[in-house]
Amino acid sequence: MILLKLAISSLYNRRASAFLTLFTIAVSVMLLLSIERVRVDAKSSFSNTISGTDLIVGARTGDIQLLLSSVFRIGHANNGVSWQSYQYIKQQRGVNWTIPLSLGDSHKGQAVLGTSADYFQHYKFAKKQQLRFSQGRAFAHLNEVVLGAQVAAKLGYSLGDSIIISHGMGNTSFHHHNDNPFTVVGILDATGTPVDKTLHIPLAAIEQIHSTNHHTGHEHEHEKPTDLIGNPKQITAFLIGFDSPLYTLQVRRNINQFKNEALLAIMPGVTLRELWEMLTIVEKILLLFSMVVVLVSLLGMLTTLLASLNQRRRELAILRSVGARPWHLFALISIESLLITFLGCLVGCGLFYLLMALAAGYLQSHAGITIIIAMLSSYELMLIGAIMAAGFIVGLIPATRAYFYSLSDGMSIKI
Amino acid sequence: MINIKQLSFTWQKQQINPTIAITSLEIAKGEHVFLHGPSGCGKSTLLSLLAGINRPTSGQLSILGCELGQLSKSKCDKFRAEHIGYIFQNFNLLPYLSPIDNVTLGCQFSKPRQIKALINSPTLNQEASRLLNALGLDEQLHQQNVASLSIGQQQRVAAARAFIGSPELIIADEPTSALDANNRQSFINLLFAQANEVNSTLLFVSHDTSLQPLFNRNIDLVSLQEQDK
Repeated sequence: MILLKLAISSLYNRRASAFLTLFTIAVSVMLLLSIERVRVDAKSSFSNTISGTDLIVGARTGDIQLLLSSVFRIGHANNGVSWQSYQYIKQQRGVNWTIPLSLGDSHKGQAVLGTSADYFQHYKFAKKQQLRFSQGRAFAHLNEVVLGAQVAAKLGYSLGDSIIISHGMGNTSFHHHNDNPFTVVGILDATGTPVDKTLHIPLAAIEQIHSTNHHTGHEHEHEKPTDLIGNPKQITAFLIGFDSPLYTLQVRRNINQFKNEALLAIMPGVTLRELWEMLTIVEKILLLFSMVVVLVSLLGMLTTLLASLNQRRRELAILRSVGARPWHLFALISIESLLITFLGCLVGCGLFYLLMALAAGYLQSHAGITIIIAMLSSYELMLIGAIMAAGFIVGLIPATRAYFYSLSDGMSIKI
Repeated sequence: MINIKQLSFTWQKQQINPTIAITSLEIAKGEHVFLHGPSGCGKSTLLSLLAGINRPTSGQLSILGCELGQLSKSKCDKFRAEHIGYIFQNFNLLPYLSPIDNVTLGCQFSKPRQIKALINSPTLNQEASRLLNALGLDEQLHQQNVASLSIGQQQRVAAARAFIGSPELIIADEPTSALDANNRQSFINLLFAQANEVNSTLLFVSHDTSLQPLFNRNIDLVSLQEQDK
């Protein structure tokens, strides 16, 4: 008890250097926790993007390219799947549902996805969660659009607004489909996936806007689009759900060997994992760096403690003279290093939550990573425990020196 | 009280002349002894032997009938904490503790000392306060920052810390070297008064021979050692 009091008063007496040491440790703890949390949440956001889908089918490219273009809206699919092939595969045994995806258009930089109403029923993310409407309903007519949560929030759209879709990606596109305004009929709940950044329109409408656009002069009246009839010639990709996952491998092989067209079927879970594995090297380097930062901060503490020990010989000698045993001094220095590490970890956790609270919005909108401000996970607690243990072990070095100092110096020290 | 016979101490084994070589020295209980000698004659070494920091190379050194050379290191520490009060030359106090906390420090590490301190007062803090008053430190300074005290006041706090729990032996290692002549005189008188009150033996070490007349016994360490050669 007296040792704790002495350690606290002594540290308070040297508060400037003690605080700096503590702050260094706090920052390193914050860094380690943040990197760990972003890593875990990035991984889960990533693998939560799509679930419940057994196969993704597109034109033959690489597995990862197909996944990126169809699910993450990154890159372009150069080729599509013909409507005939889509219809053929749809009829296969075991196919429960399919969702056609047609990409390539945009609205103010946000992706436009042409799809069927099945999308709102069968598309699932995270732990097989369905898409939910925060407002409105699914599209039922050609000129209706359903917005992802972020599109609506970012562009300030609400139900009933009228918007115009442009051809191609990017908001600098010259090709605006001015004659086909869409009415917002539904807004989806936030999902933390690319769905939030997507405008959903009926598949037939994609065909409609493109075909009308090909008539350069617009000299004749179009039929007024009223319902969802009309088939496109091609779609970008489609998703398949089976009655039973047992069909997956069989159908996948059939599709990959499909004679009429060069197609590729991938299992999203497998490809997601492959993609993540490509990124693990980055993740490992980040973790390594943050561990080095922790190590450096602990070495900083060691330096401070060792340097202060020299100035504290008199203090330690006084303690010895009033009856403190060598192990008392050993314990005193150990308690000091533990206190610094403990408070450093505590402050570090505080900084970590502050940083997460501040950065959550940014990470969500710019990286699509949903940060969950939750209690520390057992792994994170283990990391903190490891830091505390390392701090304690580092503290044993000056503590051991104090132990022997006191014996050789004793009370005869004269400064 | 202190009994030394054929004591010798060398820092290194190959050393030819021992740092300390005393044939015989006896100090009785309650004596006020002035131990003096020039710098480098082994005063500090002798004190470290008396305090049980270092062990005699050969010979006998007993305090209160207890042979220090035969005690284990931890027993030595325990013995020192219980029976010896130590006053340093200067910079004696822990700057981050109040005078009261500085005084009670010794009792925190030694249970017997704590029990003895509590004979006079109901709490340790009251006992510390009583000693500080007896040594002439004003009540309002008791909780003040140690660094704001003058050297003379700090030395009084240090003396109070040595006296708390009435140890049998008080070792004062040049405690007055930072004080001027007047303060030196009054400080030593206070030491005497306290030592008499609890019947402690006072071993006062200094190279300043002008203090000699104040003590009832003087030991010149140089001549004490030379007798033997």
